[in-house]
Amino acid sequence: MRLRLEVEGQIENVVIQTTGGVHWFSIDGEVFTLPEESSRSQGKKGKGLGGSTIEAPMPGKVTKLLKAVGDSVIAGDIVLVMEAMKMEYSLKAEVTGTLRILDCKVGDQVVLGKRLCQFEVQPEATASEAPT
Amino acid sequence: MIGGGLTMTIAIANRGEVAVRIIRACQELGCKTVLLHSDVDVKTRAYRMADKTVCIGGSSSAESYLNIPAVIDGAIAGGAKAIHPGFGFLSENADFAEACLRAGLHFIGPSAKAIRQLGDKVNCKQLAQTLGLPLIPGYQGEKQDVPSLLKEVERIGLPVMVKAAAGGGGRGMKMIRSMADAGELLESAQREAQAAFGSPKVFLEKLLDRAKHIEFQIFGDASGRVVHIFDRECSVQRRHQKIIEEALSTSLTLDLRRKMGEAACALAQAANYKGAGTVEFLLQDDLFYLLEVNTRLQVEHPVTEEVMGVDLVKAQILTAMDQPVFGPDQMLVPRGHAIECRIYAENPYLGGVPSTGKLGMVEWPEGARRRFEYGFEEGDEVTAYYDSMIAKVIVWDETRIRAIQKLDRVLADSIVFGVQTNIPFLRKIIADPDYIANRVTTRWVDDKHSQPLAIPQMNERQKKVFELAKKRYVQPVNAEGNAKEASVFSNYWRTL
Repeated sequence: MRLRLEVEGQIENVVIQTTGGVHWFSIDGEVFTLPEESSRSQGKKGKGLGGSTIEAPMPGKVTKLLKAVGDSVIAGDIVLVMEAMKMEYSLKAEVTGTLRILDCKVGDQVVLGKRLCQFEVQPEATASEAPT
Repeated sequence: MIGGGLTMTIAIANRGEVAVRIIRACQELGCKTVLLHSDVDVKTRAYRMADKTVCIGGSSSAESYLNIPAVIDGAIAGGAKAIHPGFGFLSENADFAEACLRAGLHFIGPSAKAIRQLGDKVNCKQLAQTLGLPLIPGYQGEKQDVPSLLKEVERIGLPVMVKAAAGGGGRGMKMIRSMADAGELLESAQREAQAAFGSPKVFLEKLLDRAKHIEFQIFGDASGRVVHIFDRECSVQRRHQKIIEEALSTSLTLDLRRKMGEAACALAQAANYKGAGTVEFLLQDDLFYLLEVNTRLQVEHPVTEEVMGVDLVKAQILTAMDQPVFGPDQMLVPRGHAIECRIYAENPYLGGVPSTGKLGMVEWPEGARRRFEYGFEEGDEVTAYYDSMIAKVIVWDETRIRAIQKLDRVLADSIVFGVQTNIPFLRKIIADPDYIANRVTTRWVDDKHSQPLAIPQMNERQKKVFELAKKRYVQPVNAEGNAKEASVFSNYWRTL
């Protein structure tokens, strides 16, 4: 709903709506999304602890797996490919180590934030890993 | 119908904002409309506007919008005499155009022969070569196995673009910068081409890496006359997908405009082109090269309509019915400047990954020479099955700088809740001095604006306003429509 509010003597025209557990709030031409107090998980970035997992950055379909359980990976390796809205997205390992758990298979429709795989991080490699 | 309309039924084999655009044009001409839609596309604006609707299949494009027999059967079941394919999907599919004719339906677009000649990028380049048009070095051969393609990549010299032979819009398109991942990129392009256009065929092209994208709107009327309706510039592209388009281009000298316009018309004339089409060029160092021809209506057609005062969709329909469009004496004179930007449902704070879900409030700030083309309204679902473009915003003003200023204000006042959109990203782009000074090439966005935006933080004043707004906000009980208002208190407790 549109609201015309007076705050500290200043008139503010804003738009606000709470839907799907999120407050949508437009002010000064910018939109802010804030989770409703009861659902703090909203807006969490699709990243695992220390990059040792890959989580789906969007809803879509898993179209290709380039690594299998037990394979070693180097940070930057493409692990799997997803398709959403007719575009392909390559998901890369952020760590060097071994693929331990695979939570998806080719053809799976996955939701945003679903864990797709997990790595066992090779200790010395993470220590020397330089940002690229 | 005032003055007698066409009085027939036209089927629309598309979805989203373009389906709405076509339905409107049909209705203005006095035609009835049948929307051919997939099972998930029920809660859409086009569905609500069409006179009739026919579900033609499942949610994946292959089952519905790309399924030729289902589209034809749906059109006949809906009593249609013609089909408008919109853009994307079957719009550049010559087999579909033929299937329409075989079923006794008018295909609103060029002939199957013209689609094969110009829409197939390989055939198009061969025709252009015989006409002496400048082409980008590349490989357009039949050999599609990866080892043969790798050899061609080496011959052309890096960097090389691989593109889908049957399509456009950035799908099935990859840039090869090193031989190390060339094989993987080629395979990936073939898979995307197969998924998006039903054919894995690709071709290779040397990458021009500081080029501008300039295109000419062409139109062949029922009498066989081909004209160009001036140019557009679409250099603002992200990963080869256009984001912002303008008419006219401010990069052309009069001489270049004349030469490129003549080249575009020559190509269309050689294919006996009927209807609307677009001849795309790359312009680098004052030299232009033919990129491709799109044998259909273009997403960015509104900017041409705004500066030229024409209605390309009605012109397409009338031409398909063998009726005249632009009068013989009509002068096609551009006036002012128009800019379009595409609103994508995507998260600009996560590098543009698709954002799906149910739309909350959607409000466009209507006004003089502001045009909003949209296919979804509050309560509609944005799904992951299709392209993420949910709307287009077009503004016109006397000069380019005033159009840019207007666009910024319009975007700031546009409300789309429920899914994230690229509006903050678009505003960042149009505020960039490079954009304002027209120093943009097709690589510019990827070079300069590829980083995800920082998530905005509210300042202290905004936080205070937000807290107050939250208290005043009244949650409708039923978001579907005729909303009853809940009491402020029940909402207050719910959000605690």
